Amino acid sequence: MPTAPLRVAVVCSSNQNRSMEAHNILSKRSFNVRSFGTGTHVKLPGPAPDKPNVYDFKTTYEQMYSDLLKKDKELYTQNGILHMLDRNRRIKPRPERFQNCKDYFDLVITCEERVYDQVVEELNSREQETCQPVHVINVDIQDNHEEATLGAFLICELCQCIQHTEDMENEIDELLQEFEDKSGRTFLHTICFY
Amino acid sequence: MAVSMASQFFSQEEGTSEVVSTSERVVELLNMAALATNDTKITMLKQVQELIINKDPTLLDNFLDEIIAFQADKSVEVRKIVVNFIEEACKLDNELLIKLIANLHMLLKDENVNVVKKSILTMTQLYKVALQWVARSRPPSEQQESCWDLVTEMAADILLLLESDNDGMRTHAVKFVESLIVTLSPRTADSEVPKRQDGDISLEQIPPDHQFLKYNTLRDLGKQAVKELLKFMAHPAISSINLTAALGSLASIARQRPMFMAEVIQAYETLHANLPPTLAKSQVSSVRKNLKLQLLSVLRHPSSYEYQGPISTLLLDLGTSQGEITRHLPPPRDSNRKRAR
Repeated sequence: MPTAPLRVAVVCSSNQNRSMEAHNILSKRSFNVRSFGTGTHVKLPGPAPDKPNVYDFKTTYEQMYSDLLKKDKELYTQNGILHMLDRNRRIKPRPERFQNCKDYFDLVITCEERVYDQVVEELNSREQETCQPVHVINVDIQDNHEEATLGAFLICELCQCIQHTEDMENEIDELLQEFEDKSGRTFLHTICFY
Repeated sequence: MAVSMASQFFSQEEGTSEVVSTSERVVELLNMAALATNDTKITMLKQVQELIINKDPTLLDNFLDEIIAFQADKSVEVRKIVVNFIEEACKLDNELLIKLIANLHMLLKDENVNVVKKSILTMTQLYKVALQWVARSRPPSEQQESCWDLVTEMAADILLLLESDNDGMRTHAVKFVESLIVTLSPRTADSEVPKRQDGDISLEQIPPDHQFLKYNTLRDLGKQAVKELLKFMAHPAISSINLTAALGSLASIARQRPMFMAEVIQAYETLHANLPPTLAKSQVSSVRKNLKLQLLSVLRHPSSYEYQGPISTLLLDLGTSQGEITRHLPPPRDSNRKRAR
């Protein structure tokens, strides 16, 4: 076991579905976890594909919930958005944008390649201060409820394995290769420095 | 459970803070820390550090030995706190290097890899602090000279860690070497200077008549470090994470010390043509993505002007669109000159 608990961040685009599903499961398993989105706005499905509900990152899950309840209770109950927002508001008050968070993590897990690119670009654009390393791993997850659940379990298993390594940095490469073989997925992996 | 006990203690402390002096609080915390379990001990030592480094630095000297005594603690996290304390204390009062560098030397040889890695990061910060302190002392004392000798020895030890068996240790050594190269080479007009490093010392600030710091020796040490880093990156069995760290460090060196731009671009070209055969498919994707990111960051630098051809070729090979390349080009040199006037 490493001596200090792993500080984990899970990041998707809007900090609603994939990252929050993983946040939920990881916190239930006692991980030191936070979640984020990298988008400029928070987007939720609307009445049509070209009419999403767009909020800024300051809007609370509670406010989004009330807004959608008012707009079309039936639609947003049926497509699971209200249920998701209800889950989210029990975890934390509002979505958080990764680019605005200056806290340190040991591991950042992203849910799609575009988000991985944004996270890596953001971390590389910051001035280095302590040179403390942070590993960034991308696990591709489609943005729907079922895939978010499956993806969250995979992320959780990955985090558990990493947490249980004697020496995370020395073993992470091999561990990811094993995970790729086992899950049939491929993971992007890089290291950045704070 | 242990943490909540500690927080109870601190909230009680806050209630009586008006009557208890900072010094008494530090004594109390240190006494309790000596008997506490790991988590509580860590919280208490962090409190002590906050009190004597930030709140009342006049107490630093009084309690130095008591805190340093924890470097023999069984807990890795406690030893890491001592390393962090050494860094903060020496940054606050450079003279403490004379006393504490030997302790850091021991911690750099700790049996636990995480303590060694933390010590490397601290050396990344303290090497330049020590150099600046020694360079600006006129005349430097004998104690300073022996302190600098030990710092130099520790830097050589860390350079050797590029060949460590441990992947994480090598990564940390890369970051130290990056910082060493930047410190031991001159800052020039076209050097990118990160805001935080604006006041840092670099080679051109070494006084020519210094008693024991010799410009040429330090410059050669820096150049040797560049060679070591390039050799490290060209190793055929380098791990993908070590490679990523080295790619980033070289880009940072090229931007901060453009005199090394040619060597860096050459190294990128060689790597692109001969990616280590030991990398798995997904690792190749990760490394290529990283190479693209670093090339774009170098391309943005005005001194990459004469290397735009090879950089663009590499970027196109890595799947970058011409539009993205154009967006990352620096402004033409002429307009730069006009601005400079």
